[in-house]
Amino acid sequence: MSAAAVARLPWFLRVLAAFIRRELAALGGYRTAFFIRLFGFGLAAGSLLFLSRFVGAAVNPHLAAYRGNYLGFVVIGFLGTEFQQVGVSGLAQRIRVAQMMGTLEAEVATPAAPWMVLGAPPVYEFAVSSLRSAAYLVGAKLLLGLDLSRVNWASLMVAIPLIIAAFSGLGLLAAASTMLVRRMNPVSMVIGSLSFFLSGVMYPVTVLPGWLRTVGRILPLTHALAVLRGALLVGAGPGDLRDSFVALLIFAGVLAPVGAVLFAYALKRARIDGSLSHY
Amino acid sequence: MTEHPTIVVEGLGKVFQSPAGLREMLRGRLFGAPVEALAGVSFTVARGEIACLMGPNGAGKSTLIRILGGLLLPSSGHARVTDIDAGAGTAEFRRRVAFVVGDERSFHFRVSGRGNLHYFAALHGSSVAVGRRRAGELLERVGLAAAADRPYREYSRGMRQRLAIARGLLGDPEVLLLDEPTLGLDPRGARDLRAFLRDDIVRGAGRTAIVCSNDPAEARAMADRVLFLDGGRLRGESAPDRIEAELGL
Repeated sequence: MSAAAVARLPWFLRVLAAFIRRELAALGGYRTAFFIRLFGFGLAAGSLLFLSRFVGAAVNPHLAAYRGNYLGFVVIGFLGTEFQQVGVSGLAQRIRVAQMMGTLEAEVATPAAPWMVLGAPPVYEFAVSSLRSAAYLVGAKLLLGLDLSRVNWASLMVAIPLIIAAFSGLGLLAAASTMLVRRMNPVSMVIGSLSFFLSGVMYPVTVLPGWLRTVGRILPLTHALAVLRGALLVGAGPGDLRDSFVALLIFAGVLAPVGAVLFAYALKRARIDGSLSHY
Repeated sequence: MTEHPTIVVEGLGKVFQSPAGLREMLRGRLFGAPVEALAGVSFTVARGEIACLMGPNGAGKSTLIRILGGLLLPSSGHARVTDIDAGAGTAEFRRRVAFVVGDERSFHFRVSGRGNLHYFAALHGSSVAVGRRRAGELLERVGLAAAADRPYREYSRGMRQRLAIARGLLGDPEVLLLDEPTLGLDPRGARDLRAFLRDDIVRGAGRTAIVCSNDPAEARAMADRVLFLDGGRLRGESAPDRIEAELGL
């Protein structure tokens, strides 16, 4: 982060706080959507329960690394996928909506730097998603009997910022592609589909053929799920998860700066072709 | 008065290149045919002056005002507003120059007028306390104090325009760029808003303004000088009382 950006951090925090206040103020108007979402969550939780009963009843060597805990395996798979979705699509979706609503032009016309205007929503979304994930895990423990007795907090504390940084890098690439092509971002769709297939969301990656497992290793979600499952289900320490931590560090170190440069280019293109206000 | 202009535009040009359609892409082209929106536009606006940009739809008014607001980069020439290059996109530029977007989609529909202003005050760097005070003052000033806590979606067209003006004043800018500020208002509402903008917001506060419009009544009511744009070129200028003669109406 540059010195100028650090100096503007208090300003960004004010923007973030104002954004959160505005979102909370708007929430009152989305009561139906909230209840529909809650209903959807109930259905998903029920599906997971029966799926885990079905799979958990069998002796499955692929689940041995997770102590046969398929419920924990699949719950973390879905939470990781949602986290990736927030990271990869959060900023892009926000830009798309702001372009369509017409707010983007009004916001970037203010003295706040574009990174402040566009950075607040993903930070908020990550915070909400983290809280929601924690609530889901607690709910799964209380209602579905998920065994979380071996959580390694040190691994978890290292994992979360690394996962957020890696997904944010992808998010910047997705946002840049959204601004450049003015469509819902192709990066998000490709990453989302590949990750669901190859990162071990529903099934352990050990069931995949070797070459597909190799392809899966180039996806951040594969490593994110490895460290989350290791930390939450089997109490693996940072040393045990070193390979995945290093992979996430590389993803964050490469994707974040490349994404930032591409995003700055996309913003400049938007000022050249006038697409801040149309889509 | 014209010795030290607040706005200086020299040889400004803008060419848009739309993305290629399928036919162009099959021919190996990435872009469609270029569209020249502005060409060789030059003028100045003195400090404290209200200039009105007039011209038919597609004349280039919105393109020009967006370049002056730093939201669009020119293809050629340059524009300086308060001695800062409009293309530089600095925070100081955006503090001094307010682009008042008439687009009513530019606010959050489910949030109150006051809530919307609080958010934009934060984007101007105001603390919560300062933002609240400033929003309250401005809502009072634009006549929206009584409706400040109603959701924006319940606002009438005129109220939305007033809220856009309040938002433009959050940073106490030196220059206001107003794009069709009374578009869609009834005649009485338009008349009142023009008088308020001219007397209170611009002249009363010593500001400089450019107003885009294709309504002669608006130009007469607000402007000191009228600039005529057509086909992206500046065709001339006149005093507000000579608009009809210039346009041959």
